[in-house]
Amino acid sequence: MSPTSVIETDGLGKRYRRLWALSDCTLSIPAGHVVGLVGPNGAGKSTLLNLATGLLAPTAGTIEVLGGRPADGPAQLARVGYLAQDAPVYAGLSVADHLRLGAHLNPGWDAGLARGRVERLDLDLSQKAGTLSGGQRAQIALTLATAKRPELLILDEPVASLDPLARREFLQDLMEATADQELSVVLSSHLIADLERVCDYLIVLVGSRVRVAGPVEELLATHHLLSGPRRDPATLPGGLEVISASHTDVQTTLLVRTSGPVLDPAWTKSDVGLEDLVLAYMSQGAGRDRSSRHLEVQK
Amino acid sequence: MIWLTWRQFRVQALTAGAALAVFAILLAVTGHDLADRYAASGITGCHGGGCTNATIEFLVSLGNTTLYPAVYELGIAVILVAPAIIGLFWGAPLIAREFESRTFALAWTQSTTRNRWLAAKLALTGLTAMAVTEALSLMYAWWGEPIVRAFNLGAAGTGTVFDDNQFSSLMFATHGITPLGYAAFAFALGAAVGVLFRRALPAMAVTLAIFAAVQVVMPLAVRSHLLPPDRTVATFAAVQADDIGTLAPTVVPGHPGSWIISSAAVNTAGRPVDLNTASASCYPSNPQAKGPNAPVLWQCLDGKGFRTAVTYLPGSSYWPLQYIETGIFLALALVLAGYCSWRLSRRRS
Repeated sequence: MSPTSVIETDGLGKRYRRLWALSDCTLSIPAGHVVGLVGPNGAGKSTLLNLATGLLAPTAGTIEVLGGRPADGPAQLARVGYLAQDAPVYAGLSVADHLRLGAHLNPGWDAGLARGRVERLDLDLSQKAGTLSGGQRAQIALTLATAKRPELLILDEPVASLDPLARREFLQDLMEATADQELSVVLSSHLIADLERVCDYLIVLVGSRVRVAGPVEELLATHHLLSGPRRDPATLPGGLEVISASHTDVQTTLLVRTSGPVLDPAWTKSDVGLEDLVLAYMSQGAGRDRSSRHLEVQK
Repeated sequence: MIWLTWRQFRVQALTAGAALAVFAILLAVTGHDLADRYAASGITGCHGGGCTNATIEFLVSLGNTTLYPAVYELGIAVILVAPAIIGLFWGAPLIAREFESRTFALAWTQSTTRNRWLAAKLALTGLTAMAVTEALSLMYAWWGEPIVRAFNLGAAGTGTVFDDNQFSSLMFATHGITPLGYAAFAFALGAAVGVLFRRALPAMAVTLAIFAAVQVVMPLAVRSHLLPPDRTVATFAAVQADDIGTLAPTVVPGHPGSWIISSAAVNTAGRPVDLNTASASCYPSNPQAKGPNAPVLWQCLDGKGFRTAVTYLPGSSYWPLQYIETGIFLALALVLAGYCSWRLSRRRS
């Protein structure tokens, strides 16, 4: 376990009855980043994050979070903030009750931060959480997760159920919250545009496997779209890793990864967007994860 | 943690408090009149046979009202049903609802361990359940005290609804400390079934089915085996066998307030005999003719050398039996709470 990683797994697996939601997953998520975890439905994102919070116990392998076992005692729980999918809150409890809940259940509770956030977001303290909009519920849940002053904040599809405006506001708010605290963040999403806005590190998970991982800037700098007259990708010079290739009758378009410059003048080089990059890696593994795709819905 | 538990539980707790208050007012108002009736009945300061007459008169006159038998039976019903309601509405949804609304993901990711969360929920709600049920029982015992005292003095049956021995199925489970055990068990059962099903509604149905079965099985099949019974052989006259054909003993000579578990007719040698054959010789051969009254029948049977062998628990076994039965239910409640903890710590969600 290196001190610079917040989540480290080795051969991690989780089985629901007979179906493996996550299997043989080995990865290391570095500290000090806002890490985006992307992948198709059924890639095991939620399962991985649930294992990291200790809500689930692994069937196989090991997982360490901030160097400890997930949910192993109050101290470990205090170090990890978690925002579950769809931001569950107690429908019968008011906004103020949720803040009291946080204060009673977390010794490190930052009451000023919580109160300030709720005021800034213009939430009615006496309103029952059950009557809040999806965006407001997510804000309450995020307030609970950040005001406990965690070292690591885990968010599972935090914006999936929000409308575009609420999504933008939530992510903006998340950015501000994490900038104020020295906080590592891991969030999962299948909405790459959203991740692009907030993440500086990206992990593409397909079928429990890490397809690609790295700082966003570095990923963008080392991936290029090449287009030129049609030719066999196998004839390309060394040092180029072809991620995806598409052909028309006369033209070939390649997404390649390379650390050096592309010198062949036959190719027209252009930059690649994060979305195209991620999609290219996801379709690379498309065949593999089909068997477990239905798991997301089942859970 | 206690704050959250209380915050989630307080509406139910206040509802229970209101129900207790209504029950208390009903009992206080009618109980006052009941005590007055007892004071005016002449039982206090009675002597010998006068006591029997006075108590029978008191109970029969009570039985002829509509109010007192109704409250008497309502009280028993409330105390028997209260644990079931608690198991259904407090126990079953306690954790199942957290799964349904997925709020467990919120609760279990605060800086409090899952076991402390569970312990606070089970302890606060469970102890309240026990307190509420026992409070119902104590209030009811206060109300019915004149009736029980009169019944114990009068000994023989009066033909009213008040003819319940302290060991009877209805009385034993509603008096003493057994309501504590039933409440704890029903609540823990609901919670455990809720943890198993993760959905409140099916958990409520299963909890009700299991608890109702336990409430029936306990008095019918289990309670009489919890303590070794005593056995005695006596005349039919001495046990005041009832004359409705079964010739079942109604009292154990020298042991008032006993629980008669079983009886059998025997001959003087102590060998079992067929009761029908024995009693047939004492009835007139014409089935249309009126049979002998009880004392005549007893005299006839006793004169022919028949006796009745009675197995019973004496009145002194009442409290040991209360402790054993309550202990069994408390132990079951602890086992069920342990199951909840074990199941949640396996962290399957």
